[in-house]
Amino acid sequence: MTDDLREQVRAFILENYLFTSDPDALGLDDSLLGRGIVDSTGMLEIIFFIEEQLGVKVKDEEMIPDNLDSVNKITNFVASKRQAA
Amino acid sequence: MSTLLLEALSNSAARDPGACAIVWRNTKWSYADLACAAARVSNVLAMRPMQAGARIGLLMRNSPQYVACFYGVLGAGGATVALNSQERASVLARQLQHSGAELVIVDRDHVEFEPLRQLANEHGIEVLPVTLGDDQHSQAQFASEFGDTEREWISAAREDLAMIIYTSGTTGRPKGVMISHGNLAANTAAIVAYLGLHPADRGLCVLPFHFSYGNSMLHTHLAAGATLIIEDNVAFPQMVLRRMQDEAVTGFSGVPSTFALLLGRCRLQDYDLSSVRYLTQAGGAMPRPMIERLRSQLPGARLFVMYGQTEATARLTYLDPELLERKLGSVGKPLAGVEIKVCDTSGYELPPGHTGEIRARGPNIMLGYWRDPEATQQVLRDGWLHTGDLGHKDEEGFLYIDGRAVEMIKVGAFRVSPQEVEEAISALPGVEEVAVTAIPDELLGHAIKAVIVPRAGGRLNILQVKAHCREHLATYKVPKVIEFASSLPRTSSGKIQRFRLA
Repeated sequence: MTDDLREQVRAFILENYLFTSDPDALGLDDSLLGRGIVDSTGMLEIIFFIEEQLGVKVKDEEMIPDNLDSVNKITNFVASKRQAA
Repeated sequence: MSTLLLEALSNSAARDPGACAIVWRNTKWSYADLACAAARVSNVLAMRPMQAGARIGLLMRNSPQYVACFYGVLGAGGATVALNSQERASVLARQLQHSGAELVIVDRDHVEFEPLRQLANEHGIEVLPVTLGDDQHSQAQFASEFGDTEREWISAAREDLAMIIYTSGTTGRPKGVMISHGNLAANTAAIVAYLGLHPADRGLCVLPFHFSYGNSMLHTHLAAGATLIIEDNVAFPQMVLRRMQDEAVTGFSGVPSTFALLLGRCRLQDYDLSSVRYLTQAGGAMPRPMIERLRSQLPGARLFVMYGQTEATARLTYLDPELLERKLGSVGKPLAGVEIKVCDTSGYELPPGHTGEIRARGPNIMLGYWRDPEATQQVLRDGWLHTGDLGHKDEEGFLYIDGRAVEMIKVGAFRVSPQEVEEAISALPGVEEVAVTAIPDELLGHAIKAVIVPRAGGRLNILQVKAHCREHLATYKVPKVIEFASSLPRTSSGKIQRFRLA
């Protein structure tokens, strides 16, 4: 289940920011901001993606790098929110 | 006469050496630390030896190390080429080559470090890697790379070149804005005066230093002996607001998209921002509802709406916050020492209410475009800077911006040349022709749209085009929308009608 979610997150970032379907272009722990994959507005789009496509509401205080700055961080954050719901 | 930047930094360091100059992540540099680190950079450069006016590239994110290197280059008699850290190595190498830089100081963790090093080597440009330590050991680390010998700074003349800022240009013709020591001094002094900056101020900076607005925020704070707190980005707006609260920030500067991001999901009232005494906004018109939200959520802060361009060092006009309501939509009046007029195409000054090209003169107007007398001649004529912006004045002399005469797309606060994007896309096999235009974007003001006519039998898809653009252009230059068409709209004389592409 988490693996599907991880692939869904990775596919979204690959398609919208790296414009490829090659999974090797993005490591699961790569920093999205640090590698220049997304900028500030891109991060806002990722939050919209999490809320609208993955169905998880992101609170203000949850908008931190530890929850959002890599595929694995996003996956873990979304999975834990779903579990808590 | 305004004080040159090096002297201003020395004065701030002499007045209160222990005062905090820069805060970045987990490190704080005092004025004494900064002046000492800059003098070490000057020494390393002077040992090379370096000719007066030598261009030295800087490719670093905002950090105290960037500031030390910037002042260190000036102190060694050189001129900085502050590079856009979002650009790709190929573009950066072209700009370095065009500038004639002999050395580039690069953050060794920058994503483009390796490709840039290779390209620089091919062009005989030396690369000096620097580590951007962000904890309490950052100064020791910097000293380990630059040594501990300090070099006395060489005094500069006002007309000497201090920096080159590359603005958007085409591949074959990078546009390097030449800013003199006198330009920086004059613009810095005028901004410090109207913002009333003083040593107790604590400005929070999210604007890149390689960009004229961020550059001015940096130097004004140092000249005032104030503290500048660097935040890497606004990707996590609530963290920026919390930092403003925790650091008791007194001033914050942004472009419209910065404020859109801050106000987008957060309520400023949820934070104690009572220390914030002013906000500044430049980089394009901010929609009225956003100005109103900002004012209602932060009633204690004075909002300065401003106008300028890189060719004017940074700033040309500002609107007195007390007049914001009465003159909403205006960018105000010229700052001290600057004159502005609105002219028709023949160069005659227009009466109030009539739109024409905005022209400016003053001690902040650039020396010209580096190694491009023809482009310089187009914008610096009869002693005036022809800004390429359209505007009008009202009966009381307040300036309003009505658009741009020159074809440029403003994405966020960045100017993007449609030709540069077209050149990049044209290089892709399978493209017959391409035209680029601006489309409205809620957050950024404008986004880029490309319309491509594929070559017969060519196989192209949107992802492939975007991936190609991302490889060759800074991320903000990648078109948001790409469409394929069988032909492009043209006038009877064959000129592409960009407005019909949107």
